[in-house]
Amino acid sequence: MKQWWLRPGVRVVAALLLPFAVPAIITALIWALPGDPASIICPPENCGGTEILAKRWGLDQGPVAFFMGWVQDALHGDFRNSWRLQMGVPVAELLWEAVPKTIMLLAVALVPVGIGAVSGSTGVLPRVLDPVLYVVGLVPAVVLGLIAAAMVELSYGVASFEAEGELARLLAGAAVLGLADGAFSGAVTGTRGLVRAEATQRYVGVAVLRGEATLTNMLPNVALALAGQLRARAIHLLSGAVVVEVILRINGLGDLLWGGTLLQDFGVVLAAATGFAVLSAALLLAQAMVEVMVALHVRRSPSLGGAA
Amino acid sequence: MAVRPALKAALATLMMVIGTGATLAYFEESLPSSMNPLFARSMVDRRSQELVFDRLWFHDAVTNELKSRVVERWELADGGKALKITLKQGLKWHNGKNLTSKDVCFTVKAMLDRNTPSQIATEYREVLAGCSTEGNQVAVVQFKRVYHNPRERLGFAVLPESAFSSTAISPDLDFSARPTGTGPFKGSRGRRGVVFDAFANGHHSPNVAQLQLQEGGDPLVQVKTIINNGVQGIVAVPPPLRPDLSASDEVTLKGYDLRSWWYVAVNTSKGALSDVKVRQALNVALDRTELRQFSIGVKPGEENSPCEFISGPFVQSSPYYNRSVRVIERSDKARVQKLLTDAGLTQVGGRWHHKGQPISLRIGMKAPLDNEAPDLMSQIGNQLGALGFDRQEFKISVDEWNRKILTGQGSEYDLIIGKWSFGLVEEVNDLFHSRKGTEGKLNIFNYSDGEVDTILGQYDASRTDTAARDAYHELHQKLSLKLPYLFLWKLDTKSAWRTEVRGNIIAPYFYFTEIDSWKYAK
Repeated sequence: MKQWWLRPGVRVVAALLLPFAVPAIITALIWALPGDPASIICPPENCGGTEILAKRWGLDQGPVAFFMGWVQDALHGDFRNSWRLQMGVPVAELLWEAVPKTIMLLAVALVPVGIGAVSGSTGVLPRVLDPVLYVVGLVPAVVLGLIAAAMVELSYGVASFEAEGELARLLAGAAVLGLADGAFSGAVTGTRGLVRAEATQRYVGVAVLRGEATLTNMLPNVALALAGQLRARAIHLLSGAVVVEVILRINGLGDLLWGGTLLQDFGVVLAAATGFAVLSAALLLAQAMVEVMVALHVRRSPSLGGAA
Repeated sequence: MAVRPALKAALATLMMVIGTGATLAYFEESLPSSMNPLFARSMVDRRSQELVFDRLWFHDAVTNELKSRVVERWELADGGKALKITLKQGLKWHNGKNLTSKDVCFTVKAMLDRNTPSQIATEYREVLAGCSTEGNQVAVVQFKRVYHNPRERLGFAVLPESAFSSTAISPDLDFSARPTGTGPFKGSRGRRGVVFDAFANGHHSPNVAQLQLQEGGDPLVQVKTIINNGVQGIVAVPPPLRPDLSASDEVTLKGYDLRSWWYVAVNTSKGALSDVKVRQALNVALDRTELRQFSIGVKPGEENSPCEFISGPFVQSSPYYNRSVRVIERSDKARVQKLLTDAGLTQVGGRWHHKGQPISLRIGMKAPLDNEAPDLMSQIGNQLGALGFDRQEFKISVDEWNRKILTGQGSEYDLIIGKWSFGLVEEVNDLFHSRKGTEGKLNIFNYSDGEVDTILGQYDASRTDTAARDAYHELHQKLSLKLPYLFLWKLDTKSAWRTEVRGNIIAPYFYFTEIDSWKYAK
């Protein structure tokens, strides 16, 4: 108990390291691939002398110099230009377009998950519906995504990349993310299980006998577990977002990562993966913050214990 | 002098405002990889760049006459080793600056700069020696030697000096996505498409306010979309879907002269395939009539077929095509048997063996070609399988194609199905010359044959059309015997455009050369 800060502290450190660790691993992978990186990006037969390109892209000094240079530029908001995915376009520009879309997609997808969590913890949804929820949850995001993509394409045609079509893609994508792969059913059953287990604790029964509310008594104890669950679900949605964005052709971070990987546009891959790492780090920080707040709340509460 | 272009520009702007404000959307095979003409790789790149840039000289789509929209007059200089070009006045770049002789010389110098990592620039380095300006309108382009057709050698797109900081041009500059040209449209590439906005100029007066390029996707969906007016054009319609469009009153099919021919490249340095008799056996093993029927849908004996067999690396209408070499339409199993036996192959349990091992062929095909000729790879595989060859089939992505196959690094394959497209100049040296230095840049399996190289050298050294034709006739003959490729057919490329689109002349190869005449009103 005296070391209450240890767990959030570890999370904060992990959150700070993650955005650097991910591009470092990707850089190592780039150099691990057979052939020199510049030739992978643009073979000499296509681009003439790749040594010129290697120099220009900072690939000629080895992985460490490349990584350090990249981080230095990235910290100044310069992610260099796309090499292949959208040749010549600053990657920062692509990120600026992609990050809000992914965040919006996740935020909207969290609505059904949130509804599921609340209804699960309050018991609004009866247990008898659980089999239905499980069956819905069994449908993979790929399948639901394909159905949603077909519906959007058929409804909007070539206009599906205009404002209204883009919104339809986003909402359909969020619905897929929020329902598929057990996202909704997991939220319902997960929080219900947690709350029900806690409600059987002796202190809750005592509190009820004292005329106190169940939830306010339980909350400090379940808050940490709930925050953990929420982060796990958000991470789950984040990985699902890659699939959904690719299938529904939403110009988000996941689609950027996929496109960059397919075309071996390492600049885009580095930036997009770092984007995901930053989002993941933000979730870790949020969880750490909840843990700190709960710990402070508990420490501020009056002590019940007298001397034995 | 400058009043007329200005008036034309004003008139064009007025027409765009009061005339056709509609956006013309069309499906392309893919998105362009780069809008910078120095880094064009695919036909999509070239077609897109044609909307944005002016090439110094180009061939008229109707008369085939060599023309220029930017050159007022020209004359030979330095005993024929230079061309003095006087540019038209009042022509503007999309950034509002004037086109001057400095831009022409900048383009030449950029191509000559060895720090410009462009394959296209490398080719021009073999031809061009330098460039100097005489005032704002006159540029003198120097060649490395005297050419009988110097203007034909200046078909490059002019780049704006003001858009670059040096003559070393890299592919990853912003220019590759948002280029500045003097062409009829100002282009901007996004994640899902390219938007081209009309730009009225002294030498261009586009009637369509905006063009929108989108990646086509499934061919059937493309066809349904154009019929439902969700899009107004499809650049390439696969033959099996053409009847659906022909039946529609609202869509017109238009020929696109791409001079494309299909082939099966053979890895002549691998196992049994290194024996010419085995290659000859494969050549007569293919029943091209059946392949054409099952893949493209052409029935035997059908007239006006979009698919014409070839026996060498040229389309039949080409002056280089050697008519004395017969096409092979049907398979000849007895001859296959004889050739393979003569080559020392043995048949065990119906399967052909080479040096005691069963022959297993790895067949690859560029994936998008499956849209034009569905199941062609399976059909070829089936025919070879029926004759006793094991096979494995692989679809090759565009990326792998560009990076691996075209660069001669696809040696794990035995056979590769592909298509080459040409403009008016059907030069095939890069396909068959041994890879060394700048020669043989597109030699898929690094085929090398001294006799073939000699003939290609004769073509290169030819100073008259007749000499060039003779060299290529001989090449055609030689290749039909040595068979580094099994030649299949020329397949017509057809575009589909809605009838609301009028005046849409489709230029050979570059497609949009005559875009100024296109009109579209909803």
